Amino acid sequence: MTKKSDISTPEGYFEDLQQRLNAIPAAAPAREPSKVRRFAPYLAYAASLALLVAVGNFILRKSTTPAVAEDPYWDYIAYLSDALDPDGYWEDYPEQEASLSNEDIVNFLLAENVSLEQLVSYEEGY
Amino acid sequence: MSEQEKIFNQIVKDYSERLWWHVRRFVNSHEDADDLLQEIFLKVWAALPSFRGESQLFTWVWRIATNETLNHLRKEKVRAALRFSSLDTEMEHRIQTDPYFKGTDVERELAKAVLKLPEKQRQVFIMRWWDDLSYEEISAITGTSVGALKASYHIAQEKIRAAVSESPF
Repeated sequence: MTKKSDISTPEGYFEDLQQRLNAIPAAAPAREPSKVRRFAPYLAYAASLALLVAVGNFILRKSTTPAVAEDPYWDYIAYLSDALDPDGYWEDYPEQEASLSNEDIVNFLLAENVSLEQLVSYEEGY
Repeated sequence: MSEQEKIFNQIVKDYSERLWWHVRRFVNSHEDADDLLQEIFLKVWAALPSFRGESQLFTWVWRIATNETLNHLRKEKVRAALRFSSLDTEMEHRIQTDPYFKGTDVERELAKAVLKLPEKQRQVFIMRWWDDLSYEEISAITGTSVGALKASYHIAQEKIRAAVSESPF
């Protein structure tokens, strides 16, 4: 079995075909490659560079600054937790607490005309 | 004549006849092959400015031709379905009534058996058996590995042997 003997073509078909195909450029002028296609490699380089800078910047910021530091929400939460913490509140006045001794309190009460009997009865739990 | 036109005319001179045979085996019609070849060379002309030489010109042109042909067949399949027919039946009819078919009954059986192959096996068989392309060339055109092509061709041969009364191999 020969491979191409089973199909025939009209006489001179391939010469005619070549002529018709060669006429294509005259009928359909070539299109210049579009500007986007021409600059595509440069655009790709620029986009890669921009992506690299953005990723680098993100990683740098992530590794040097706590994420919550600049967030006003977390500032507010920190303020509230300080205000509601009883230990924290009293720690703001340590000197005042230390300066009031029992003697100071007794002297203050005596100056306010509270009798010694009354002070003793308070002390004993009446 | 521009440089592009010179290259195009050289492509026409070198490949038009071989490509016509390639397309003809797929569409089984002289007129359809003629129309399709015009379309293919219009595409080649339009795409020539973007050809970058990354592949061989031969591979590039052959790839355009094969893709266009397969797209054409897919459209034909849809059109046949819209007519409540099937492309395989219509193709068999074309082979049976083709005025340009001068072969024997066995060759007609072979053409019909190729129709029944799945698309990839049919593609490999046509390119290897009738177009005389090497596996490496077919691989470059289709993007399929040589091993997979050999396997497809072997399966296609087995199916054809089973379908044709006198083995062509």
